[in-house]
Parts: sequence; C-alpha cells; structure tokens
Amino acid sequence: MSLEEGRISRFQLIMLMVGFIFGTSMLVSPARSAGHDAWIANLIGIMEALLIAWIFSALADQFKDKTLIEINDLVFGRILGKGISLIFIWYLFHLSALVLSLFAHFFVTEIYFTTPKVVLLIVGVAVCASTVGRGIEVLGRCSLVLAPLAFLIITNDMVLAIPTMDIKNLLPILDIPVEKLLWAAHSAASFPYAETVAFIMIFAFLNNHKGRYAPVATAILIGGVSLTLAVTRNSLVLGPIESIFEYPTYMAVQMIDIGDILSRLEVVIAIFFLFTGFFKVSVLIYGTSLGLSQILKVRSYRPLIIPVSILMIIFALTNVGSNVELFAFIEEVFPIYTLPWQLGIPLVTLIVAKLRKLPQTGGEKV
Amino acid sequence: MIALLLLGFAGIALIQIPSLVHKQWWWELIVFTIFWLSGLILSVLLSLGVKLPPVTTIIGNYISKIFSI
Repeated sequence: MSLEEGRISRFQLIMLMVGFIFGTSMLVSPARSAGHDAWIANLIGIMEALLIAWIFSALADQFKDKTLIEINDLVFGRILGKGISLIFIWYLFHLSALVLSLFAHFFVTEIYFTTPKVVLLIVGVAVCASTVGRGIEVLGRCSLVLAPLAFLIITNDMVLAIPTMDIKNLLPILDIPVEKLLWAAHSAASFPYAETVAFIMIFAFLNNHKGRYAPVATAILIGGVSLTLAVTRNSLVLGPIESIFEYPTYMAVQMIDIGDILSRLEVVIAIFFLFTGFFKVSVLIYGTSLGLSQILKVRSYRPLIIPVSILMIIFALTNVGSNVELFAFIEEVFPIYTLPWQLGIPLVTLIVAKLRKLPQTGGEKV
Repeated sequence: MIALLLLGFAGIALIQIPSLVHKQWWWELIVFTIFWLSGLILSVLLSLGVKLPPVTTIIGNYISKIFSI
C-alpha cells in the first residue's frame, strides 16, 4: 500500500523544484566566495549539478514507483537498506534545520528585530506542516501559483535595479585562482542545485513515469539561470562591498530607487524569501515524514508530520553555536559534507542495482 | 513558559491521538508517541535553559579537521 495517494504532474514537479532551488539561495548567494566572478562559478556549478541530477534521476527511472527508502530495501536488503535510508533521512532533517536557521536569522536581523526566533519558526513551520498534511497534490498546486510569482519578483527586481548597476563591477573577469573558482562552483552545485536530490522521495508520485531527467534538468536550468542573473545583479549593484553583506540580494534590492517613488523594495524580496522558503521546508518535512513512515512501516505519514516538524524547530534553534558558525558551515563545510548524500548514496545504489540487475529479478517485476 | 509548552503539546496529542485510537492504528500510535515525547522532552529542556549540543558546529569542526579547511 502506498503511503501517498496523490499524484503531481511533471510541470508541477518543475515548479516545485524551481521554488525549492530558489529557497534559501537568494538569501545566501550561491558561489559568493568567487566575488564578482560568482556568475561564472554559478554556471559551472549548474553543469556539475546537472551531472549529479543525471545520476539520481537514472536511479529513480530504474525504480519508477518507488521512493529511495523502498529502493534501498530492494537493492541492499532490509537491514542495510534501512540503515542507508536512515542516513538519507538525516540529510533531509539536517538540511531543513539549516534552512530554518537561515530564515530565522534573516527575519530576526533584518525585519522582526525583537521577535524571538522560536515564534517565527513555529509560525513558518506550521504553515508548511499544514500543507504537507494535505498531501503532495496540494504542494504541487501551491507551486503553480507561488513559483511563477517568485520568478516574477526576481525579474521585476532585476529590471528595476538596472539604473543602479555599474558594468565595471564585473571587471576584471576571472580575477581569482582556478581552484578558488572551482571550489565556489562546487559550493554552488551543492547548495542549492544538487540539493534537489531530496526529490527522490517525490518522483514516485508523478502521474507520468516518463524519464525524470528532463523535468529535473529543466528545473535546475530555470532555477540556475535565475540565480545566476540575481548573483550578477548583486555584483553589478554592490560591487566590491558585496562580500561584507550577509544578504547581498536584500541589500542590492534596497538600493533600488526610481524617482523617489519606487524605493524600499527589499520588503518584496522578504516576501519572496517566504514563498521559496515555504517550498523548501515543505518538501523537506514531506521527505522526512514519508521516509520515516516507510522505514517504520506505519500506514500513514501524516501522524509524523507535527512531531517531525517540532523536532526540526528544536534542531534549528540549537544546531549551531552562532550565526558566524552557520555561515562558515554553509560556505566551507557543506560542499564536502553533502557529497555522500547528493552523489554517494544515489551513485552506489545505482551501481549495485545495475550489478544485481534490479528491479527485475528472476523474471518477476519488482 | 513551560505551562504554555505543555498546553501546546497536549493540544497536538488531542488532535492526533483520538483518530489513531479510533482507527486502531496501535503501531502508528506508538511511533507518534515516541516522536511526540522526544519533542516534548527536548522542548522542556530548552525552555529550562539547558544547552543542547550544537550538532552542526560539531560536524563542521570534525570535517574541517579531517580536510584541513
């Protein structure tokens, strides 16, 4: 018996993934360690992410109606499979806590100065948990409204920022050592593009089981190009001072001032963060609850949504000692830390499945 | 603060448990209770000012040491 009765279309998947990719990446510009060459690092990062996505999409194509938890059980057996699945669930759980920490930090430092983080987290996570409780179809429908809206906000801010841009801020091109550029590219690939590996918990609920790579690659390209444009806009507007800001996108949009009428547009960006953060946290809550339900063999993932969400809030509040540590972890450690989940588990599972000639064993379709 | 917390957790239990009991989903009830209790205990500890270990920082330090970042 499947734990999820709902189905989403390929277009809904693309929109959901685009929203997921925007997620926190607008807050912490991808590849910002490359300075004004961040746009180049981003483009390289997109290519790396497309390769990683090819691997996990191939795995999902191999086992069309199965989530990673069920795939692991088939490929590695019940005990080892469950162990690997638990490790994967940890990734989803930890990522959601990091995302929540980032959002709470952003809203507390930029907008709600005196509001306790825990209040913001409870309100935000409650909305996500409520949506997840209504199933993947509702999340898919939300994506059809909110992702294009988020895209519109990015485009709008991009156009309005043109008067404040200075092309000289991008020069000289490729001013950093190659290894630093490649590290920044890998950092962009791991946060956010290859994070889409989380969707391996959702692919099984597509209403059309044609190849998964096309929608995944489309989403990475749409999200990636949009983020690259946003990163370029940040460099063009802020110039060398970009690196001193924690949230360059927010600052770049703050600079917009069209005839003293259109100004203080950063609030629009904050709304954008809310939309995209909603996608990211919802997908991660969904993946974690569904995954745990499949591991523990319960008949519905819904009873787990609220307790899992509470644990995510607690973890988000306690997982880092300070905000400096949080940003250092994301920029320096995260690209290495996530490799086993984004590349390791899908690749090893795919290889073992191929070697064992799964999903077909002894003429029986699994 | 702790009273408010307990009230919130009691509310969650009141929403979830009756439907699980009605469906006689005992295993689901046990799993829910374990996660719910973990959340409750950690929340109470947090509100009492107990410092929980910063897991991300610990992982970060460990990886930084291994890869000399």
